[in-house]
Amino acid sequence: MLTEYLPIVAMAVLAVAFGVASLVVSRMFRPHRPNPVKLSPYECGNDPVRLPRGERFSVKFYVVAMLFIIFDIEIIFLFPWAVRFRQLGLFGLVEMAFFIGLVFVAYIYVWRAGGLDWATSVEAPADADLASDSPRDPMAAADEELAAAMHDAEVAGAR
Amino acid sequence: MIDAPRVELWAILPVLMLFGGGLIALLASGFARRAAQAPFALFTLAALAAAAASALWLWNRETTTALEGMVSIDRLAVVATLALCGIGAFGAYLGFHYFERDDFRRNEFYALLLFALGGMALLVAAADLIVVFLAVEVLSLALYVMTALTFRRGPTEAAMKYFLLGAFASAFLLYGVAMSYGASATTSVQGLARALTGVGGSQPLALVGALLLVVGLGFKVSLVPFHMWTPDVYQGAPSPVTAFMSAATKVAVFVAMVRVLDVAFGSLAWDLAPAIAVLSAGSMILGSVLAIAQRDVKRMLAYSSVAQAGFILSSFVSPEREGIAAALFYLISYSAAVVGAFGVVMLISGGIREQTGFERFRGLGRRQPVLAALLSVFLLSLAGIPPTAGFVAKVLVFGAATSAGYWPLVLIGALASVAGAFFYLRVIALMAMQEPRGVDIADPSPLPRLVLAVPAVTVVVLGIVPGVIVPLLQEAGVLTW
Amino acid sequence: MPLDNVVFWVFAPLSVATAIGMIVVRNAVHAALFLVVNFFTIAVMYLLLDAPFLFAVQIVVYAGAIMVLFLFVIMLLGVDRGDAPGERLLGQRTTAVILAVAIVAELATAIRAGIGFTTRAPGGFDAVNPGGNPSALADVLFRDYFFPFEVTSILLIVAAVAAMVLALRRSKSLSQREIETHAGDDLEAYGLAAPGAPGTVGEPSR
Repeated sequence: MLTEYLPIVAMAVLAVAFGVASLVVSRMFRPHRPNPVKLSPYECGNDPVRLPRGERFSVKFYVVAMLFIIFDIEIIFLFPWAVRFRQLGLFGLVEMAFFIGLVFVAYIYVWRAGGLDWATSVEAPADADLASDSPRDPMAAADEELAAAMHDAEVAGAR
Repeated sequence: MIDAPRVELWAILPVLMLFGGGLIALLASGFARRAAQAPFALFTLAALAAAAASALWLWNRETTTALEGMVSIDRLAVVATLALCGIGAFGAYLGFHYFERDDFRRNEFYALLLFALGGMALLVAAADLIVVFLAVEVLSLALYVMTALTFRRGPTEAAMKYFLLGAFASAFLLYGVAMSYGASATTSVQGLARALTGVGGSQPLALVGALLLVVGLGFKVSLVPFHMWTPDVYQGAPSPVTAFMSAATKVAVFVAMVRVLDVAFGSLAWDLAPAIAVLSAGSMILGSVLAIAQRDVKRMLAYSSVAQAGFILSSFVSPEREGIAAALFYLISYSAAVVGAFGVVMLISGGIREQTGFERFRGLGRRQPVLAALLSVFLLSLAGIPPTAGFVAKVLVFGAATSAGYWPLVLIGALASVAGAFFYLRVIALMAMQEPRGVDIADPSPLPRLVLAVPAVTVVVLGIVPGVIVPLLQEAGVLTW
Repeated sequence: MPLDNVVFWVFAPLSVATAIGMIVVRNAVHAALFLVVNFFTIAVMYLLLDAPFLFAVQIVVYAGAIMVLFLFVIMLLGVDRGDAPGERLLGQRTTAVILAVAIVAELATAIRAGIGFTTRAPGGFDAVNPGGNPSALADVLFRDYFFPFEVTSILLIVAAVAAMVLALRRSKSLSQREIETHAGDDLEAYGLAAPGAPGTVGEPSR
């Protein structure tokens, strides 16, 4: 019974072994000459502005997590369906296509409504007639993001 | 190779219309987020009309179940779906007016309304406990979001409370389904009825399952002691949403309760009736008493809806068709009155920052005679004073309870009605006899007044000639299995 | 089956240890990681009980999606938030202990009365699972319950809309006029507006 899962176990063991081996081997062969710049994160030479501790995510990323769950639940239905695919026949195929099609409607809505846009802010003019046609300067957008994040942090700190 | 099941989609045509309309409205609101909402509102009304028409088309069908026993085709579902479509139409119009007035564009409102209605239309036809659970979840999720749609602090907090307590209640519902399955090895309403009849002795597992289902469903219709969320949510939600959910949720869930209690657990009716009587009496007493203490009209109406749920439930002690017909009549008259009342409150409260304290209603009869008159009619009906439908509804419901031998319950109901008359009439007195104070922020537009005259006329007509729909409701109350 | 026993005795202590670890550690992220390991060990238990579908659900939905959500919530609130001083609600700990004892007692009675402390399999499990649990489940889910299955997709759609509408409130969806008119509301929604600011009239009284 359980022996059926031996390939999965082998796979898991291989995955762990590869990860550990990579670290061990590179530790053994790499030269070790540290300096402060190399030790800094990202090796860009800049100290990170804020420490990762205590930093808070924006709530908009939560949408991504929620959407992940929704489509994850869609995926789990595929498992028994795939096991029984041949016996379910055409009916099963149509049924699952319909189900996926319906959930896809949710995907289209989320995409069109801007749920997958990474940087949206209050400052962004939303109306088509208000927005300029030229794409916004990416640096300006990044600055705005930073300003908004810092404002959020200030407000959180003030509380 | 397994044989494919029969897919009788025509059996749930109203539900398909509503869900299909919801999908189209959702895609449209994704692609045209900034678009004007008038087309959305018109489309919603069209979808509701299509759903109502297809429900009517099912009226003369043979009573049976479809889709592998998941939904039932009967007149109970047809009547309830028609009522739901009517409530939905008022909800859509009131919402349109509410958001349009403040230029607050939230076109998802229409998709959510249609999804909620689709869930409700599915709930009233559900012939399987799994479908009951899914339908309750669909309608609840949509309502949570509709509550928070204006993003102000009050609505957001209300939605949060509604969601947390609602999730808790869903667990009870699901646990009840599991227990019922444990007792009968089936989730279908028909199968449960068959498995539970003719088995001698008490059936603790089935009884526990039935009670857990009553808890889960009782939360949705705010029966005491599962009513805690009601005042905050009814007050915090935007008024059109309150109007919609206070009426439509009660219609859908009470009809589902008819199927669960009178059919699936029909053989346990004798054991369940005392529990139902206790819930009913508690709701009538506590709802009426707490409503007296309120100084805010929305909050007062919320507590009054708790009491109204108790009145409706009192007919459930009688599993006869009179009981079902009485509950249906009560639901229809209550829906008309409560949709109208919250609609008038919406017009009086002035804008998205709703002001619904009693001081807003002081002397309204001088400033806004039409609105004051409309609200008075609705409140009289809720109080159960003739010649309104509320009076007939109370007579029918108490008649059903008396014939089942529950006269103490009827006595409590009568006393609660007297207490209720006090707080309803107090608002009317406030409007008619006091001097107005402060500035008038009521909405001056004429069309909503005209629309709200429809439920007012309904309430009065049903109060004078209840015979126009009672025979239909009695036909709908015949459940054959 | 000796292999079953070996697997069980490897994963059962791990399961208990990670569960305790999750409660004991102070850092919320570490607790979440303990929970992931715990979910995996529970998944293995399902496998031992001949329930491969639950195994997949446990890993894909719980260890995958639910844990991601947990971590998001932790990051949303800030990692170093620490415990609130004292108990917010009175008697929480006492109630928790009483309920924990009650549930242990209930489980013990149920197991004793039900299958007993033996290793025999529950009766009829194989009879209702011809060809294994996932395929028997597939037959029921995709044939008898095909309609509820399709309704599930509507539920998922509404959930997606809910997430979008509630979490992306400050996104592009607001028009310029709305931002001007309702900017205060947004602050208010986060509890940042000055007390007594306009707009607090008519809030639920508490």
